[in-house]
Amino acid sequence: MMIQLTATPTSALIDEPVHIRATGLPPFQIVVLQATLKDEMGNLFHSHAYYKANEVGEVDLERAPSLGGDYVGVHPMGLFWSLKPENILTKLLKRDVMSSPFLVQIKLYDSNLPLIHIPTTAPKVSLTLERWYTAPGTKRIQVREGHIRGTLFLPPGEGRFPGVIDLFAGVGGLIESRASLLASHGFATLALAYCDYEDLPSQPEKTDLEYFEEAVNFLLRHPKVLGPGVGIVSISKGAEIGLSMAIHLKQVTATVLINGPNFVIRIPQVYRGQISQPLPFSPQLLSINALGLAEFQHNFEEARNEANENFLLPIEKAQGHFLFIVGEDDKNLNSKAYAKQATEQLRRNGKNNWTLLSYPGAGHLLEAPYSPLCCASKISSLHLFIHWGGEVTPHAIAQEHSWKEIKKFLRKHLLPVVTSQL
Amino acid sequence: MQALSRSFSWDFSLQLKSLLSPYRAGNTTPSLSQLPMVQLTATPASALADEPVHIRVTGLRPLQMVTLMASLKDEKGNVFWSRAFYKANEVGELDLMQTPAFGGDYVGVHPMGLFWSLKPKKAFQRLLKKDVMNSPFWITLNLYDSVCFEDVITDQVMASQVVQRWFSGPGLQRVQIREGRVRGALFLPPGEGPFPGVIDLFGGRGGLVEFRASLLAARGFAVLALAYFAYEDLPSDLLEIDLEYFEEAANLLLAHPKVQTPGIGVISVSKGAEIGLAMACFLKQVVATIWINGTNAIFEFPLRYKDMVITPIPTFVERMQLDISGAMRLRHYKGDPWDELNQQSVLPIEKALGSILFIVGENDECMNSKEYAEQALHQLRSHGRNNGRMLLYPGAGHLIEPPYSPLCYASPNKNFSLPLLWGGDPAAHAAAQEHSWGEILKFFRQHLTQTRSKL
Repeated sequence: MMIQLTATPTSALIDEPVHIRATGLPPFQIVVLQATLKDEMGNLFHSHAYYKANEVGEVDLERAPSLGGDYVGVHPMGLFWSLKPENILTKLLKRDVMSSPFLVQIKLYDSNLPLIHIPTTAPKVSLTLERWYTAPGTKRIQVREGHIRGTLFLPPGEGRFPGVIDLFAGVGGLIESRASLLASHGFATLALAYCDYEDLPSQPEKTDLEYFEEAVNFLLRHPKVLGPGVGIVSISKGAEIGLSMAIHLKQVTATVLINGPNFVIRIPQVYRGQISQPLPFSPQLLSINALGLAEFQHNFEEARNEANENFLLPIEKAQGHFLFIVGEDDKNLNSKAYAKQATEQLRRNGKNNWTLLSYPGAGHLLEAPYSPLCCASKISSLHLFIHWGGEVTPHAIAQEHSWKEIKKFLRKHLLPVVTSQL
Repeated sequence: MQALSRSFSWDFSLQLKSLLSPYRAGNTTPSLSQLPMVQLTATPASALADEPVHIRVTGLRPLQMVTLMASLKDEKGNVFWSRAFYKANEVGELDLMQTPAFGGDYVGVHPMGLFWSLKPKKAFQRLLKKDVMNSPFWITLNLYDSVCFEDVITDQVMASQVVQRWFSGPGLQRVQIREGRVRGALFLPPGEGPFPGVIDLFGGRGGLVEFRASLLAARGFAVLALAYFAYEDLPSDLLEIDLEYFEEAANLLLAHPKVQTPGIGVISVSKGAEIGLAMACFLKQVVATIWINGTNAIFEFPLRYKDMVITPIPTFVERMQLDISGAMRLRHYKGDPWDELNQQSVLPIEKALGSILFIVGENDECMNSKEYAEQALHQLRSHGRNNGRMLLYPGAGHLIEPPYSPLCYASPNKNFSLPLLWGGDPAAHAAAQEHSWGEILKFFRQHLTQTRSKL
């Protein structure tokens, strides 16, 4: 009997699961499945898992447990989210989200082949999958209006769509991958840059919320955007901004805050003359882990203990709804503590406009489902390796679960009541 | 493209340097009267590697934030380093026996933290002293006037001190052994003796590792660091354990005029501990055995002793796991010694005449040491024996070594294509090494020294 490897669907959005099966194997034979991906810069990512065929010579990843390798247990998408770069510090990031997919090769080998020989050995059988960041018909529009810089992704089809602003962490550039996926799921999403992009300042000295207000108004004015409110999906430093937008702008009706602070970080915020100062940072509270990676999650503790409430962002003033997403193993920000404090502040003010999802074992960089865990990054301007945290399997589970919750949350609060499901 | 590659550099851009300026404000132009006053002392400056060092700093400004850094270059040129951030007290002093580190490679009060948290600059290097007789490790302690957390230090050193860490003491003798089949190095304490004899066995890396044997000898034991493969004319690969080789070594040690009779001790780790336990079971010459993170059954290749052959429990390559760093976790790799099909491979520990001390790191990622030790003790109890005892260290990993040895996260092994993950949380592992060393010395003194009192 011929060995066959099938995967369905072979071409899909990256957040869609794939059903992988192998048939025609000798009964109870142990095989190794390998996934390989090469990103746009030529970086290679690999994952491996060992499976045992059943009595009829089949391995069905929806039922069979991996016995070892990059993950263990029943994880149908394990080969994707356990992909590891050849260099531990490389992050998987799609630059061109529109015109090309990531190609993932799945290969099957005998288990007695040492891993080191795999690259030079022909697999028994293999196939290639396409993983796309946009659904067919999604439109991408470069935005350069007023001060706003970013990219607007419009879902396929006629009509109007709920508007979302996507804010990434960061100093620099523009990440489009999450915005393009949200658009593929029916949200008109503006991936908004806020520094070091085109003519935006490379090192802003302050965060001006009027810039973000301009972006909200731009989105609501767009003929394809359904109002009256917008949503925000934001992570890390982006979530500090997302939280502040929710507080000051009544048009923000649904805000997703992923691993963010409930205070201002690093540079002051201004809004119509009002200034919010950043919380002081204590460099001496840095921890270095066993692998030599820098962990910053305690660096605000001294200031938090000594600071008065004025440093906390007045979340009780926000009129919309919040979804807090926390990776409990975040080694970059003490996300769990900040979310807890923010939700307690809401409770004390009699508000119940929030949901908190806290994921044990998940790290700082919570992304779309099946994204590989990036555990550390090198910062070129600082001679430092930053540990983001997260354990591979729980982090993957958190990404899968939180993504569903994010979409549900946005639909619930941005779609008119008559069309939403109860 | 450059912008995208920095997109996850949230918060730690060039701007971070400006955040440090308040901490540097008073420090950039020290007055002439200030500089010579800063003193860094480390006592003793030269000592055995298992002795603690008392580090103090005086002459700082009150509440000044500083970085203490240790660095070492091993015999292969690999650099290891560590750092911690401290705050001086109201009189400008730091005493590592009392002052807690705020951050860096460890947090809290750890007088020897700079030593055991040393990390290699190049990933997966293991710190191992090769020449234990003629040179120490030189560790440079540097004091910096701010919180230095980058990999490249641009600050000027405020004070510096070099400490020497020796693996042998004055008068210690090293004798290369090439007698019969036996290959290794014998370390003899100074004096006439006779001294209690110990055989020291390391694990699957092969070759000859001498630093633990020489340190034990510095503490009064005649120690034979015994190689069993990949050394001189010994087989290059381990394909079977020939217990008669180890018996020959035991007899050779006992025959030495400076070694006490009639019994010797064995100290063994990892694969060496599997052998050490077999020696305890079958060789009456062995009266005291220390087993560190080993097995209680024969694995991978058979053991032979005279007519007896013990077949191994198989290993399962598919149960290997990969850690986020790319290192291999072998913890679940071995077959189960509790499985009734594997009973012929389990060592008959009830036959051991001497005493056995099981030292276990609970976070061992290389083998299920705790389960193996527990099964061995269960076996002893079920035969009415009480000559076994376990020291279980939560947070400790596989490579439990003499005190202040840096935790090695993972390191290459010639039998595997990827580095092996050892496990262990740095601070807990360091505490385990410190505590277990004292227990090791106590155990050997108790069970090997006949003529002296137990004090």
